[in-house]
Formats: sequence, C-alpha cells, structure tokens
Amino acid sequence: MPPIGGRTIQASTAEPNLITATPPSTTRSIRSRVLGRSQDQASPERPLLVLHDVTMRYPNGKLALRDVDLVIPEGDFVFLVGPSGAGKSTLIKLLIRDEVATRGEVVLDGQDLAHLPRRQVPRIRRKIGIVFQDFKLLPSKSVWENVAFALEVTGTPRGRIGPAVDRVLALVGLTDQAQQVPSQLSGGEQQRTAIARALVHDPRLIIADEPTGNLDPLISWEILQLLLRINELGVTVMMATHNAEVVTALRRRVVALEEGWVIRDEVGGAYHRED
Amino acid sequence: MLSFVLFSLSRAWQGFWRNAVMSLAATATMGLMLLMLAGFWIIQTGLLAGLQFTEQKVEVVGYLQPNAQANQIEVLQSRLEAMPEVASVAYIDRDIALARFRASMTAQGREDLTRYLDSNPLYASLEVKLVDPSNVRAVGDAMRADPNIRNVINIEDLVDRVLTVTNILRTAGTVVLVVVGIIVLFIIVNTIRLAVVARAEEIEIMRLVGASDAFIRWPFVFEGAFVGLLGALLALGVLAAVADPISGFMVDFFRVLPLQFGSLTRDLVVLVLGAGVGLGVLGSWLSVRTYLIR
Repeated sequence: MPPIGGRTIQASTAEPNLITATPPSTTRSIRSRVLGRSQDQASPERPLLVLHDVTMRYPNGKLALRDVDLVIPEGDFVFLVGPSGAGKSTLIKLLIRDEVATRGEVVLDGQDLAHLPRRQVPRIRRKIGIVFQDFKLLPSKSVWENVAFALEVTGTPRGRIGPAVDRVLALVGLTDQAQQVPSQLSGGEQQRTAIARALVHDPRLIIADEPTGNLDPLISWEILQLLLRINELGVTVMMATHNAEVVTALRRRVVALEEGWVIRDEVGGAYHRED
Repeated sequence: MLSFVLFSLSRAWQGFWRNAVMSLAATATMGLMLLMLAGFWIIQTGLLAGLQFTEQKVEVVGYLQPNAQANQIEVLQSRLEAMPEVASVAYIDRDIALARFRASMTAQGREDLTRYLDSNPLYASLEVKLVDPSNVRAVGDAMRADPNIRNVINIEDLVDRVLTVTNILRTAGTVVLVVVGIIVLFIIVNTIRLAVVARAEEIEIMRLVGASDAFIRWPFVFEGAFVGLLGALLALGVLAAVADPISGFMVDFFRVLPLQFGSLTRDLVVLVLGAGVGLGVLGSWLSVRTYLIR
C-alpha cells in the first residue's frame, strides 16, 4: 500500500480516536504552522457552521430540505449520508451559496448567507474548499497550474502563489507529478490535485461531494486518509458519501438525510442505523 | 488595478490560443459578418448620394416678362436669395438661353431651327436652386406673385413624385442596413457565446474557488474584443484587396455623384473596427453574464 505523507493506511485507520482526542487549540496551531497563516479571529467556541430551521423548496415545487437544524463546530469531521435525492447536494449548494434557502438561516463563520450581498459571495467561497466526484480539473493545465489557478483568479499576488502551491502539493503528495496534466494521472492523483486546489486558499471548511465515487476501494481509502490528515490540521471537513464501508469503519459524526429531513445525527455512528 | 488588467489580458490571450480552432472560427465568422455589414453600408452610402444628387437637380424656373427692367430683376433676385428656402438664384438672360437651346439641339443631333428666325424668341429666366426640394411650392408661389414673372414652370407635382420615390428608397436602404446590422449582431454574439460555453467548466471552477465577477468576466471581454479586432482587420484586409477593381467600377458609376472617397474610407474603417470590437465585447459580456447571475 502506498504511503501518504509518510503514513501508511493501516496505521491511520486506527488513528481517528487519537485525532478526536486532540484539543482544538492544538489543532489550530498545527493548522497555522503547516498552512503558514496566522490564526483566525474566530473563538474556538463559536461553531463554524449553523443551519437553523432550513427549508429549501425549488421553483418546481420540490422540497429538497425540511426544517434542517445542524451545528458544526470548527475542526469537526462530518459524514453526510443518505440515498440519492435525499438533499445532500442541495445542502452543499446552500453552503457555497449556489442556492439560497427558502426559509431558515445558514450561518457560516458568523455570516448569514441569505443576507449576504452578491459582491461578498466570492469572499465566503474562499473560506470553503470544495471537492467533487468528477474532480473538475482543467484538462489543458498541469497539476501545478490547476492548483495555482484557484489563487490567480482570486487576485493573489504572484509572489505568494508559488510557495502556497508547492506547500499544498507537498501536503497531498503530488510534488513529483506537478508538471503532468490530468490525463496523465490516475483517478486518485486527480482527486488529490482537486483536494490540493480546494486547500490552497487555506479554507476553514472542506466540502467533499462523493469524492470517492469514481475511485476503487483502495484509492478511496487513500483519499480518506488525506481528508483525515487535513482535518487533523484543524480544517473542518464535511464529506457526502455513499461509501458505507468507510463511514462505518471510521466512526465519526454521521448526519443522515432522507427526503429532506435530518433523520439521524450521531457522533461515532455507522452508515446505517444501529439499534 | 494594472496587475488585474495584465492578468486579464494574459488570460484572454491564453484563452484565445488554447481553443485555437474555436477562436479562429469565431474570428472568421466575425470577419465575414463585418464584410457583409461594410458591403451594405457602401451600397447605402452610394444610394444616399445618388438620391441627394437627384434631389439637388430640382430647381424652380421662372420666366421674366420681356419688359422687366434690369433693376427690377435685381430686386427680385435679391429678394429670392433672402428666402431661407433658397440656396442660390441664377439670372439667365435671353442670349444665354438661346445658346443653351442651340447646344442642346446640337447635342441631340437635331437641326437648329432658330437660325431661320430673325430674332431671339426665348425669355430671360431666373433659375432658383432649393435648399430642400420639398419647399418647391413656397418658392414657386413667391415667384408667381411677382409681376415681373411671366410664368413659372409647374414642377410641384413632379417634385412630389420624385420625393416620394427618393424617400421610399432612403427608408428602404436604412431598413435593409438595420436588418443586416441586427443579423450581424445576433450571429456574432452567438458565435462568441459558443466560445464561452465551451469553457463553461472553467467559469464554474472559477466561481467555486471564489473568483470575483470581475476576475471571471474581464478575460472573456478582452478575448471578445481581440476576436472583434482580428475579425475587423480581416474584413478591412479583404476590402483593401478588392478596393481597386471595385473602385474602378464605382468611380465610373459615381462619377456624377458628390461622393467623397476619402471620407468614405475613413468612415468605413471606423465602422468596421468599431462594430468588430464593440460586438466582440458585447457578445462576451452577455455570454458570461448568464453564468454569473445566480
């Protein structure tokens, strides 16, 4: 099994309890040290994300979310599970403010997304890194350019782009593949490129929408390892998935959606309800 | 600000060459459309010049009484010249009238019958050129009211008919030009849109990583302007290449017309460049807008 960031997969499947036990103050300092930025202003007590009484009804009348209440503290690792059409994607769209809730509040890092002026939307999105099932890489750009792209288009000064990209590529273990284009990479490497791109802004929250959906089980574990490691650095991670094996094995917080309702919110849960 | 402009320009340049086939197809379409627009515009300009020339031919001729005194004629002439509708007044005395008549007979190859006469049978006249041919009635009436005028040739009805025809032609030319302009607008905007849609995923990624609207929009706008500029240069190049053979024909055709070829060329360059760059910018602005509004 290939080592990731000097760690093997067997070693880290046993690790989650250790990570949970790490106090928030320590994780924040690790995050600052590794990602090279100063600590954020937010107090550790304030939750990163609060959804209060959120209902989402699409213009076609479909109710995608109903009365959703959810509080996610900084540094949490949350699995979002549920059958297709349960509302997972809608929830993610609300968080990145691609959609606005019909009713209720979505508060990210103290800002109510429903009342956010349009001009502030890009700023909020830089606090979030998003990873998709289909990677969404630009085929004509190299790994390095794909990651740098996220900084270039947000107006980051040229001098700061290089070091930041090198740092996240090292973190996801793609330093050697930096000059290759996506078509030369394996699925796992492509997804790690996407994760590096999501991470290069030093986001507070990583949202992964079925990140292992296109990958075989072994590579899926590799990606999970990486997300756990990022979480260990203090970044909050929310991962929507159908991968029951992973969810059940890791015993993290599980939020289950069905027909728009949150039917279960359990710390240390499995993919399916255990009675 | 400067670095933002440089960033947008370099991204526009990259964007153009990364999708080279698409970009060149858009440029070629742009060039062809501008060429079509320029062609119709040249036709419209020629048409307008022709109509104006025709209308300027309208003049009111009033024949003078044989017993009118020279000072009376002068008073009448200056009174007519003072009218705002009148452009100029020419006094044609009997000798000039006879000379003209003879010249026109000769030109038509007819026998000059006036040499059988022992005196000049023609009247002296005042020929009044008008600022606007639709004022023919006012000027005609003013002349008829003067006792020194024997008679005024009644051309009012003829002028009305000529004006009806020229106005219809002028309106038709403008309508055709506007319709062609709208067609060109739609085709160019649509072509640019295709080039933008081909990069929808790139725009999507930019939105998701938190790029501001300006960072997404301006590279595309610059790229659209670049496509427009290249297309315009292409069209102007084609026009320059065919200018000589065509202008040979045009000069023959327009020789009689008061058409300024210098200003025509200048206007054409301004029109083609302006339309090219303007439509390129408009097309990309509108196309990107649909992705930004959420």
